[in-house]
Amino acid sequence: MLKIWSMKKEQQKAENADSAATGGKKKKVTAAQLRVQKDLSELSLGSTMSTEFPDPDNILSFILYIEPDEGMYKGGRFSFTFNITPSFPHEPPKVQCREKIYHPNIDLEGKVCLNILREDWKPVLNLNAVIVGLQFLFLEPNASDPLNKEAAEDLRNNREGFKRNVRQAMAGGTVRGETYERVLA
Amino acid sequence: MTSDEVYPGSEPARWVYLDRIRTRPGPFTNPDVFDGSAVAKAMESMKVLVIGAGGLGCEILKNLALSGFKDIHVIDMDTIDISNLNRQFLFRQADVGKFKAEVAAAFVEKRVKGVKITPHNCKIQNFDEDFYMQFQLVVCGLDSIEARRWINATLVNMVDEDVEDSYKPLIDGGTEGFKGQARVILPTVTSCIECQLDMHAPRAAVPLCTLASIPRQPEHCIEWAHVIAWDKEKPFPTLDKDDPEHITWLYQKALARAREFNIPGVTYSLTQGVVKNIIPAIAATNSVIAAACCNEALKIASNCAPFLGFPDDNYMMYSGNDSIYTYTFKHERKDDCPVCGQQARPLPNVDPAWTLRELLDSLAERPEAQLKKPSVRAEGKTLYMQSPPGLEAQTRPNLDKTLTELGLVDGQEIAVTDPAFATVTFKFRLRFK
Amino acid sequence: MTEIVMSQTPPILHGPSEKERKYDRQLRLWAASGQSALESANILLVNSGSGVVGVETLKNLVLPGIGRFAIYDEACVNEADLGVNFFLDDSCLGKSRSQSLTELLLELNPEVQGTWYPNESVEALESVLASSPVFTVVMYTHPISPKQLSLLEAYGQEHKTPLVAIHSAGFYSYFQINLPGAFPIVDTHPDETATTDLRLLSPWPELVAFSEGLTKDIDNLDDFEHGHLPYVMILLHYLERWKATHDGKYPATYKDKTEFRRMVQSAARTNNPEGGEENFDEAAAAVLRTLVYPSLPSGLKEVFEYQHTDPVEQRSGFWIIADAVKKFYDKHQCLPLPGKVPDMKAQSKVYIQLQSIYKAKARKDAAEILETVRSMPGGQNIDPAEVELFCKNAAFVKLINATGGKISRADRLRAVADQEFSSDQTAELTLSPLSLLPIYLALQPTAHMTGLYSSSPDANAAANAISADEILRGVAELVPGAEQNERVIQAAREVARAGGGELHNIAALTGGMVAQEMIKIITKQYVPIDNTCVFDGVASRCQVLRL
Repeated sequence: MLKIWSMKKEQQKAENADSAATGGKKKKVTAAQLRVQKDLSELSLGSTMSTEFPDPDNILSFILYIEPDEGMYKGGRFSFTFNITPSFPHEPPKVQCREKIYHPNIDLEGKVCLNILREDWKPVLNLNAVIVGLQFLFLEPNASDPLNKEAAEDLRNNREGFKRNVRQAMAGGTVRGETYERVLA
Repeated sequence: MTSDEVYPGSEPARWVYLDRIRTRPGPFTNPDVFDGSAVAKAMESMKVLVIGAGGLGCEILKNLALSGFKDIHVIDMDTIDISNLNRQFLFRQADVGKFKAEVAAAFVEKRVKGVKITPHNCKIQNFDEDFYMQFQLVVCGLDSIEARRWINATLVNMVDEDVEDSYKPLIDGGTEGFKGQARVILPTVTSCIECQLDMHAPRAAVPLCTLASIPRQPEHCIEWAHVIAWDKEKPFPTLDKDDPEHITWLYQKALARAREFNIPGVTYSLTQGVVKNIIPAIAATNSVIAAACCNEALKIASNCAPFLGFPDDNYMMYSGNDSIYTYTFKHERKDDCPVCGQQARPLPNVDPAWTLRELLDSLAERPEAQLKKPSVRAEGKTLYMQSPPGLEAQTRPNLDKTLTELGLVDGQEIAVTDPAFATVTFKFRLRFK
Repeated sequence: MTEIVMSQTPPILHGPSEKERKYDRQLRLWAASGQSALESANILLVNSGSGVVGVETLKNLVLPGIGRFAIYDEACVNEADLGVNFFLDDSCLGKSRSQSLTELLLELNPEVQGTWYPNESVEALESVLASSPVFTVVMYTHPISPKQLSLLEAYGQEHKTPLVAIHSAGFYSYFQINLPGAFPIVDTHPDETATTDLRLLSPWPELVAFSEGLTKDIDNLDDFEHGHLPYVMILLHYLERWKATHDGKYPATYKDKTEFRRMVQSAARTNNPEGGEENFDEAAAAVLRTLVYPSLPSGLKEVFEYQHTDPVEQRSGFWIIADAVKKFYDKHQCLPLPGKVPDMKAQSKVYIQLQSIYKAKARKDAAEILETVRSMPGGQNIDPAEVELFCKNAAFVKLINATGGKISRADRLRAVADQEFSSDQTAELTLSPLSLLPIYLALQPTAHMTGLYSSSPDANAAANAISADEILRGVAELVPGAEQNERVIQAAREVARAGGGELHNIAALTGGMVAQEMIKIITKQYVPIDNTCVFDGVASRCQVLRL
């Protein structure tokens, strides 16, 4: 067994002539962390989004803030927790809205219905794709496949009424008997 | 043969069939690396690690013990469940609840004279590189991709080109129903588990909104109970998928929802299957795949025949659904594999008294990199990130700290990314002056 | 709503039984029907040689709960057995091997019964066969004496019992299944994706009416309704539009179909946040897959054209139903509808309605076939469930061992050898793997050398038990000229190296494959091999050959 390994060592040396090793303990960066580091350095947040890292050394867990500057949710400030498992990017990041908000695609527990967070996730997608998707949800809430059925019905049947409800909910008011969190920036 | 024959108590008599193969060259044996006279002894002193003592693990332990390996360790954190008994043949009804690794090790030790099996009832992540360094060979029988990726990354990272013994061949098996695969990974030489991630089809997910508003299948009702109803009602503090009471709660929720929408087919068994993501498993397939793995282990350890991994084929797919079909091929290594694609380059003449800023400046001068806006991290430590702005502000103070102050040590690996090199991550190993 | 249903009908707790829990992981593969077939089975293993591969097979059958097994093995346990067979230990030395093996195998599953031979009352294989309840399958391992082999072959013919021959030596093995006649399988478990049969080019009135109801005003549907039309409805609707401009004809060619796909794609509404509609995407993606005229799959064609040689066989349930299905096919030019609708974007209620339209049609087709079955001789007692299963799987029914023995075994081996050796010559060009027939050929000359099994501690003495040259002489008798083939010569040397002994890994691997095949034959589910599987442990691959 050992002989075959020395054979391979020769092969290896020929391939990487410039490399040499150091002794000592090598703590290596894990695959998920490497990928997140790369994704973070390519993130383009624009003026409407920002991040907060409760522990900067743990880049697998952070908060994303979105403050839409147009659309029906303009003036609100929404935050999402991002939790990335060691299985990233094989598995999508786990994203949840921290506030209780009135939105057809976000339920009262903060679960988000965004295709690339679940059924359409692929390892080639990156964190930027996810935040762009989240931002889009506030510009174009989607009534056809809702998580919050009441909000979706309102949006479908009475767009103006829906807009009013959004304003009311964002101000911490009650819509259809449900009280929402104040999220005005 | 009659019972009054004399039985020699010597070892050669016991291992005669194995010795015929492993101590004598055959037509395919590579004479340059084969030494029949040394094989038996070499294998006796070899340490093999088995990861998983479940369906594959039980078979692997038996097979290795009967392949001439004498010093085997096994890691498994699980305890024995009644649903294991249809295939995990080292366990009996009375063993339910005991540690798999412990029971399996004791059984094989008792049955096969002269083999020593050391059980570890814990997670693989509980051990560090020092532990893994003592083995010459690792054989995996796991059902989780996460654990596979962890051990793969650990073994690839342990490779030190100057240390022969740092190359640990990894043999991995997996099954699903009548199908399975066996593969050999020679860290940094062949394609690794991370390169082969696309061979595992991710579990098909249903849109959350389908679950919430337009369920059509029994699985949709079960997932609704699991993902939405449970969180909303929190009937128990945390969901224990092995607790029948919890599964029953989900089953009843799913059943009620299915009735509401006239959807047929929600059963207890389906609920359990969907919630636990149960993969069908039988003894026969485990037998095939575990033996295929251990056959490679024997060949690697003895050189008595060519093994998977070198120079060509490294992967065997097996399917028994429709007749029997195997496909044995070479899975190519990926140059951009985040685990084995790029080995860390040594970064010599680093002064521990440098500030982080000085280190980054020195990186910018390196010809192969010429990094303009580098972000840099070490394992568990974010040194400096150019983006996003919040993180940049949080890590900016590090720029003026010395490497020593930042806790960086000689031999430490750092990962550097730069938007100018979108697809590459540079890895360097610091070598202090 | 949910709450009301909950309180009105408290669900009865149908927790799984102890046995269901134990067998859970396999019941998900072959269900209760397969399990009960396993539990009724009675297996005989005639064991010989170093004796591992058959025992490893039995292990894999005892664990899932085979009814009963018997081992016939004349050997006594010796030292060498302990280095290769896991179901023996030091305390077994000198004892009857069949007894020791049986006892240790029975520990694996208290629900299984096992017996061993020879014992005090029954000694000869002949008496075992005469005195035992009929065996479901008989396995034997090589080397076996010609006398015992002919006893087993006679038994197989008399009782219509499948025989499985297994040979494992060193890195090589093969096993061969001899079925007593044509072996049909209905429950073949095809891939889910292959089973979609929507009949979009021959819709029946109920489906047409339902579709028209949903789509007659398709352009004026509100966005929600439009975006939730099941793709089946979308395709049926646009097929009618297509026909209106194409002389009443469906899209037939590939070009037609891609053009039709564009027509469907362009009908999706794009004035929404997603810029498209998922159900229209699904419809477009399904065009090439689902717009096909019904045709007769090759497996079923073989069933329809099968020439019976055995009148008893012809009166079995399978063949009567097959006959009725053929009549149905001749009359309607299509198979009975399987009735399964894949999941697709749709509102719950609409999807369930669509599902019941397909189910109703499937029931109607099955009822028509059942009526035909009832009118046929012997058809009165056939279980309607059997008819239903056939109808559901008609397109995937398979016939194993269909071509009977027109030519002798020996001639067939030579014909296959010709073919395999000639295709090996172009293997490099066609990138196909080399034949494993050389392994089978090299093992043949030792198949009956019962004396080869020798546990002499002197490895070199064992080597002299048989030489590569002797093996090649045997090969020459089977397939003249093959002894010159370079790969046959290598295989012969590898077989000689093993000296008739097994490697545990290869025996365990082969035992796993044989057990899978036994399960398929006993449960009549999935598709067994036809009829020989050769394994090469040097290259780690196998090949199935019909020999």
